[in-house]
Amino acid sequence: MEKKWISSVSLSLLLAGSVLAGCSTDNGGEGSGGDSGDKTTVTLAGWGGNPTEQALLEETLADFEEQNPDIDVKLEVIADQYMDVMKTRLIGGEGPDVFYLDAFEAPAMIETGVIEPLDEYVTDEFEVEDFEEPLLDAFKQDDVTYGFPKDYSTLALFYNKTMFEEAGVEVPTTWEEMMEVSKALTKDGVYGFGVAPELARQYYIAESLGGSVVEDNKANFGSEEVIEALQPVIDQHNVDKTSAQPSEVGASSGGDMFGQQRAAMVLEGNWNIPYLAETFPDLEYGTAEVPTVNGEKGTMAYTVAYVMNAASEKKEASWKLIEYLTGKEGMETWTSKGFALPTRKSVAEKLGYADDELRGSLVAGAEYATVWANGTNLPIITNNFNNQFISAFLGDRPLDEALKEAEEQANSEIGSEE
Amino acid sequence: MNRKYSKRSLQEAGQGYFFMSPTIFVLLIFILGPIFYAIFLSFNNVRLLGETSFDFVGLANYERVFDDRRAGIALWNTFKYVIIVVPCQTILAIVLAATLNAGMKGEKFFRIIYFLPTLTSSAVLTLIFMWMYNREGLVNFGLEKIGLPTYDFIGDPNVALTAIMIMNIWATAPFFMVIYLAALQDIPDSLYEAAELDGAGPIRKFWSITVPHLKPITSFVVIMSVIGTFQLFDQSYIFSGGSGGPDNSTLTVVLLIYQYAFKSMDTMGYAAAIAFVLAIVILVSTLIQRKLSKEENLY
Repeated sequence: MEKKWISSVSLSLLLAGSVLAGCSTDNGGEGSGGDSGDKTTVTLAGWGGNPTEQALLEETLADFEEQNPDIDVKLEVIADQYMDVMKTRLIGGEGPDVFYLDAFEAPAMIETGVIEPLDEYVTDEFEVEDFEEPLLDAFKQDDVTYGFPKDYSTLALFYNKTMFEEAGVEVPTTWEEMMEVSKALTKDGVYGFGVAPELARQYYIAESLGGSVVEDNKANFGSEEVIEALQPVIDQHNVDKTSAQPSEVGASSGGDMFGQQRAAMVLEGNWNIPYLAETFPDLEYGTAEVPTVNGEKGTMAYTVAYVMNAASEKKEASWKLIEYLTGKEGMETWTSKGFALPTRKSVAEKLGYADDELRGSLVAGAEYATVWANGTNLPIITNNFNNQFISAFLGDRPLDEALKEAEEQANSEIGSEE
Repeated sequence: MNRKYSKRSLQEAGQGYFFMSPTIFVLLIFILGPIFYAIFLSFNNVRLLGETSFDFVGLANYERVFDDRRAGIALWNTFKYVIIVVPCQTILAIVLAATLNAGMKGEKFFRIIYFLPTLTSSAVLTLIFMWMYNREGLVNFGLEKIGLPTYDFIGDPNVALTAIMIMNIWATAPFFMVIYLAALQDIPDSLYEAAELDGAGPIRKFWSITVPHLKPITSFVVIMSVIGTFQLFDQSYIFSGGSGGPDNSTLTVVLLIYQYAFKSMDTMGYAAAIAFVLAIVILVSTLIQRKLSKEENLY
């Protein structure tokens, strides 16, 4: 009898075992792939771009593999919900060796300790000083560098040349001029200015009067200076009625709104140039630097870095990959078609984007841009800001009331986490 | 150890459990395990990324639910959604089923047509509806043609939730219609014949025979749709791009749970606590519903 029990128990264990083994075959495959032919396989994960961009990345990786015959790069494209996937994989210990990290998410990720500090890998040859400093600073914490920015984009003013000619107006250089020009351009369902009422796009305006949106890692956008600075954005929409957000004209994004000729001006980034060329090839447009707010030049900069997983078992090879991708040669290939702007001054100079007709104003912005990153709590702060800012933008409630309430909510969320 | 069971019956029980072991195993690992783990999480301050840590905090996560203004908004939105969608889709389902059961021509054709929305994946459906709800989309075009005001369904906080409600009523009602159709086949024809002899018209027959006979099915349908609507997630997620905006108007409880679990760091425990509050709310409303429907028995 006992024998039967033992056999049935062992059989069920066997069954259970095979179920579990089924889950982990993937793991075994990866390990053996790494050993074959003394090659190290480094996994690189990122979100997908358009096909041309993807081809450029593959070209860069092929160059790298040619120079480092002992390293194989396995590219994993995460199509959607990049950060959710990445966090889950890192928690499960299945994270890639090298991956993309947006500056906006960087501080919180760095704080958890899952990102490898890169300072000790850096050699003199790598020339860290060559990077645009504000962009590099976004990936530093306590003077330790955790990632090297692969590219960036700033915002610039995109304007519709045909509409400007018809209305007989000049390209605005100050915010006041922009508001005036908008009045002349608004007619027949076309708005002068397309706005994205969200913090990622309004941050530099919010801080233009000396206020700060984030203070001591807490929300501070309910302060007088910030409210006063943002009021013109609200007024242009509700009083002048010369601006609109994309959904108000049935567009899906600022670029779409501009391309469909429903807005004569939008503030967009580098991504908009290939988008317009592909989707609206006949559009006659130009770019200019963002109009000055209260006499000060300002714009946003968005940047993404390559970072290394602290739990990676192939750190040497991973560093080689990062070193190549953010090095002069790799970056030149990657940014050669202008889908992204190079973060290295020397590469930017070599590719000559500063003199490019369309990209020149984007490059010029790098100097004075505010990098979209600020402390570990920016995601919470942004979420609450966006939620209430839109209600003020639509005229449902006064701006000061909306922002003060949002600030309170953001800080209560932050407070209860500590 | 008592000797109540003979060796034989023990052996038989052992065999039985052995044969069930794969199922039991799956249930434990994939259903019971996660539930208990979630209960455990809800009493802890959980940090998963980096150095994993669990700090026992007692009921602090549950207390936080009641202080959190967004949790309040999410509950209120979900509640509004349930209160409006459940009756609407139930009534629509009965009406659709009754018309399909009336013996008209082309019944089968209409059955298929009516059932199509339920077959469509909710993600695809939401994307299609977002096109129709576009500022210059089909819905606004129609409204304008008949001289009604038009709306920015996606961008305006005042109408965004209503837009999702309409979409869901349209998509889920046919599913319950099929259940009602099956129930309608069970009502004996003799009842209708007797009613006809007594001089009842079609409307009277509907109210006096069809509706009372459908009562048990109705309580099933209502419970299922209450549970389903409380768990609204995908539509509002796609509609708002995951933010619950504009102005928290499409923020539902499950969407909030998702945001706390995956979007912000170290709030997994709090997310688990909200999930339990939601489970309790659903349980209570189901119990109330059962109590109400039991009070008036048909037979």
